[in-house]
Amino acid sequence: MDILFSSLAAGILFGMALSLVALGLTIIFGVMDIINFAHGEFLMIGMYTGLLTAKAAGIDPLLTLPVAAAVGFLLGIACYLGFIKFLLRGPMIAQLLGTFGLMLFLRNLALLIFGPNDRAVHQGLLVGKSFDIGLGIIIPATKLAAAGLALAAFAAVWLLMNRTRTGKALTATALNPQGARYMGIPTERMNALAWGIGCASVTVAGALIVNFWSVNPYIGLLFTMLAFAIVALGGFGSVPGAFFAGIVVGLITELPGFWDFMTYTFEFDWMLDVPMISFKYMWVYVAYFVIMVVRPRGLFGWKH
Amino acid sequence: MPLLDVRNLTKDFGGLRANDAISFALDKDELLGVIGPNGAGKTTLFNCIAGLHPVTAGQIIFDGEDITRLPAYEVARRGLARTFQVYVASGDLCVLENVMVGAFMRTRERAQARRRAEDILERLNLRELAGAMLSELPVAAQKRVTMATALGTSPKMLLLDEVAAGLNPGEIEEVLAIIRSVHRDMGITVMLIEHVMELVMNISDRVIVLDYGRKIADGHPRQIADDPKVIKAYLGERYVREHSGEVT
Amino acid sequence: MEALKNAFDFSDFPRSDLIIAILVGAAFLIFPLFPHSAFAIATMIQFFIFSLYGMGWNTIGGYGGQVDLGKAQYVGIGAYTTAVMLIRWDIPFWFSMPVGVLFSVSWSFIIGYPLFRLKGHYFAIATIATSLVLKDLFEVWDFVGAARGLEISPIKYAPPDFLRLIFREDVYYYYVIFAFFLLGILYMNWFRKSRLGFQLRAIKDNESVAQSLGINVHWAKIKTYAIATAFVSVVGSFHACYIKNIEPEDTMSLNLSILIALMAMLGGAGSLWGPIIGAGVLIPLKSYLKEWLGASAGLVGIDLIIYAAIIMVISAAEPRGIWGLVEKIRRRRSR
Repeated sequence: MDILFSSLAAGILFGMALSLVALGLTIIFGVMDIINFAHGEFLMIGMYTGLLTAKAAGIDPLLTLPVAAAVGFLLGIACYLGFIKFLLRGPMIAQLLGTFGLMLFLRNLALLIFGPNDRAVHQGLLVGKSFDIGLGIIIPATKLAAAGLALAAFAAVWLLMNRTRTGKALTATALNPQGARYMGIPTERMNALAWGIGCASVTVAGALIVNFWSVNPYIGLLFTMLAFAIVALGGFGSVPGAFFAGIVVGLITELPGFWDFMTYTFEFDWMLDVPMISFKYMWVYVAYFVIMVVRPRGLFGWKH
Repeated sequence: MPLLDVRNLTKDFGGLRANDAISFALDKDELLGVIGPNGAGKTTLFNCIAGLHPVTAGQIIFDGEDITRLPAYEVARRGLARTFQVYVASGDLCVLENVMVGAFMRTRERAQARRRAEDILERLNLRELAGAMLSELPVAAQKRVTMATALGTSPKMLLLDEVAAGLNPGEIEEVLAIIRSVHRDMGITVMLIEHVMELVMNISDRVIVLDYGRKIADGHPRQIADDPKVIKAYLGERYVREHSGEVT
Repeated sequence: MEALKNAFDFSDFPRSDLIIAILVGAAFLIFPLFPHSAFAIATMIQFFIFSLYGMGWNTIGGYGGQVDLGKAQYVGIGAYTTAVMLIRWDIPFWFSMPVGVLFSVSWSFIIGYPLFRLKGHYFAIATIATSLVLKDLFEVWDFVGAARGLEISPIKYAPPDFLRLIFREDVYYYYVIFAFFLLGILYMNWFRKSRLGFQLRAIKDNESVAQSLGINVHWAKIKTYAIATAFVSVVGSFHACYIKNIEPEDTMSLNLSILIALMAMLGGAGSLWGPIIGAGVLIPLKSYLKEWLGASAGLVGIDLIIYAAIIMVISAAEPRGIWGLVEKIRRRRSR
């Protein structure tokens, strides 16, 4: 029973962090219809930022979030103005390959600067501490904090999008760029802003995740694919969709845990032989494929 | 038996009823014109017949076969072709190649497709332009290419969608002659949507009029021209009331 | 018969192009006879391999306009089929390669049917997803050596072995892949003038119009996808015999899929020479960058940074690729 609850808890918490990762992607896609292959690389940048700022300033990693957000915001806008803007003019294949090039560029730049080795957070208020919330579930304090802060960040972005003028302008641009232009909304600026906010979300997510996941230059791709799956599941362009889908995907990655639980409960020997751990992420891709075929709009999507 | 028999065709787009219980029939040797104010549902009617939109209700019977539920490519294969207002097969292909795309529907062999395409270009006075790209051509020629593309499929019936739009009187004459040739010499039944009245009234055996998705008139061009309902649809009720004495 | 004639008919290209092509072809033919480094001939072989990958991709991605980023899975199927059949049952290449194609094409039909209901970005990501799933499966499947992969040890066979395609010197591999390369060009020349080729170009431009011209769009895409798959699978089988050491990370990775698409886009997707030009530029570039810069102390990854920057510049500046640029210049000149 313990395993089931532990897996559930782990899945949900991880899922919340993932939601934040996917949030940036869905905003960017919603506003300008471009799939960013380099999305995971921004996560990686966020992770390094969090780590290094904490070390340099001697503060707890969780306090580095504003720095990460600022870095992400500026980097996102810079990327848009310096590169993405030009990609948007071309055909889709150029966009896909262009952001892929960006991914390679950022990844190898990180490799050059930071070296290939894993780095992790070793010091901090919450490192090493965990909560025992009964039912046999032990949650590392860092994960709990990360999930909580992710929730807060999510709420902040949601408020921004729905309750502020800028946010509504962004939504308008997403729904109908031409119409938005006629209304006097500066689409160029909206695009840049979308990139700024989108990248800021994911760098903040990175600064959160680095508290329980070590970073190296190569981890970007996995998170990019997970983010794609989440965005597709939740519906391209939908903010609440990203939230729920993130949790769902978080749970899917905990399938090995559920499988173990089922193995012990039902005691079929053959179940032990299935190497579920290796398939942890594969099921996410399978889920993506199934969803796309069965319900392309995703759970909440409005954009097709 | 009519070649095309449309019965109570209805098409809804969400809450909007674009076509409302439209019925008409077309014999093989007839040339039918479809007119009506903008937004009356003419192009939607074409799209439904051609299989591009699924119909909400009604039946379409072509050459004795119920084609209501067939996808567009199946409808085309049964001999019902249509032109599009702006598009041809591909902007990357030259004129000849565009017509070949349609010709390939009937044959697998490139040489045969090419011959068929050249044939059609000849008929439509496009032979010299065979190697040209669409973007280089004047509007009149482009319109002829859209017709040629559809004719490439060797259809029994051709739906023409505003092929005279934007042409000057001389060019309209030319289009008229081509349509007549297609209808009489090639034996292809023609149904056309038009706003250019001289063309429609001159060439059609029969005309149907659509307004707000409904068919409001069906008959010989001269009858239609005098029909008060048609006049009202185009000019508005107020105008008719104010000029009621002048309508003859 | 007519098909063969069409394959050899290059008459719609300008004379100058054909002369250049023949000269380059002749150069390829006699290249190994001149003194060359092992590195150079290996690079040439890679060039032919990737030209063929690119040509295959070009059918569905270039002419068809459907961006497929999951071709690597078929490289894997082709490579593994050949490797497994050779290692376990001593079946020669010329038999295992068609079997590999059979498996690949079958798989492509199975996933193609649902796959092509998707459009644009969704399609692209789905292709990535399927490729990754297959790669993950291969990484845990013991029958194919799981993550360690398979190794063909040449000692067991007596090179030069033309049946099993095991050679000691690269020269043999060079001419075999060169022959495939020529066949590939002839096939593509036929393809772009064939019924399916025309249908694809109409589909790429406007699917509704294509439908109205009697084209079953869904089926045409699936057929083309199968053709692209076959190309890639054949070369995958060759790859197994050449490299003799295959593992999922190498043979079925996302990087490979993207590289294939990149070749074609860089050179000019949707044209005959495009993928070849793309491979001709990118492969030597990648190889030599790695040689000169990659190994330099402390500067790990600089070759890839430059490589990535080039991709970014091309994508942003000239998405129609090198051939697109050539055609643009030509059109301006003829005004």
